[in-house]
Amino acid sequence: MSGTAEIENGTLGRLAVIRLRPNEDLVTGIETACREHGLRHALVRSAVGSLVDARLDAGGKVVTVTGPGIEILTLGGELRTGAGGALTSDLRGTLSDSDARVYGGRFRRGENPICITLELVLQEWLPQGDG
Amino acid sequence: MRRNEGEAVRTLVQPGTPLQPRRILEWADVGGDLRITLAGGQDLLLGVTQALEARGVRHAAVQVLAADIARMAYLTGQADASGQRAATYGAPTWLEGPVTLLGANGILGPGPGRATLLHCHAVVVDAAGRLHGGHLPPGDCRLGPGGATAIAAPLRGAAFAAAYDSETNYPLFQPVRLAASGGGE
Repeated sequence: MSGTAEIENGTLGRLAVIRLRPNEDLVTGIETACREHGLRHALVRSAVGSLVDARLDAGGKVVTVTGPGIEILTLGGELRTGAGGALTSDLRGTLSDSDARVYGGRFRRGENPICITLELVLQEWLPQGDG
Repeated sequence: MRRNEGEAVRTLVQPGTPLQPRRILEWADVGGDLRITLAGGQDLLLGVTQALEARGVRHAAVQVLAADIARMAYLTGQADASGQRAATYGAPTWLEGPVTLLGANGILGPGPGRATLLHCHAVVVDAAGRLHGGHLPPGDCRLGPGGATAIAAPLRGAAFAAAYDSETNYPLFQPVRLAASGGGE
């Protein structure tokens, strides 16, 4: 059995303490906050908050969850800046609705507005040799 | 509460005037992480909070990696019929163990009364294999014999502290700068 893998050397840097206000999109709001403050690469250390409604990619389907007050149970993933300078994210997690049903998947860009707040801590990833 | 109709993605009108900036970011200094293990029989949130306070840490980003829960309550969100807020919590759902925690994120900081508060959401699976999840009220999550494990990143230089938010009509954790001497601890 053989496979391919790439390993990037690096270190963890500063912690970014972030809040998104209501109706900011979970994905594009985090990406914009990173661009505004020069955060090029980061990973999620912790996040607590809620969404108005939610749309997730899960199992090849788009899952729509109707709120308001959808609880973000867990959030994980990373943000990366490519060679061309474009910052993108891959954010995944779990949610619960008002009937306590639990959902999981990858958050779709522009389709997950914050309801009351998002409290988020990102940690900077500093790849070795990154300029 | 009113809805903005006719949009592909719904947004909500909050009870208060929108505040600026819409995205707040403060830089915290990096320090060593802390791994916490809790013995069974104690409350998960209070146990993590007290363990960190005993080390002088009042501000942190927390991930609960594992927990064996004997009895717990959680809250889920819903529209606020009173109109005073865009959303509120419903009645607690109680689970009898054994409940297995699958993941939880938390923010530790001074709460509205200045006492240290761990704001924590979790996803768990109950004794019958059903998934649950929501906001964990402090004091309502008693650990089973297996206890719990968490990892905390103390926040120094900047962190979260609760303050009244006039836009949402809630006291909420807000990013704040900390005095250099106090750090995150």
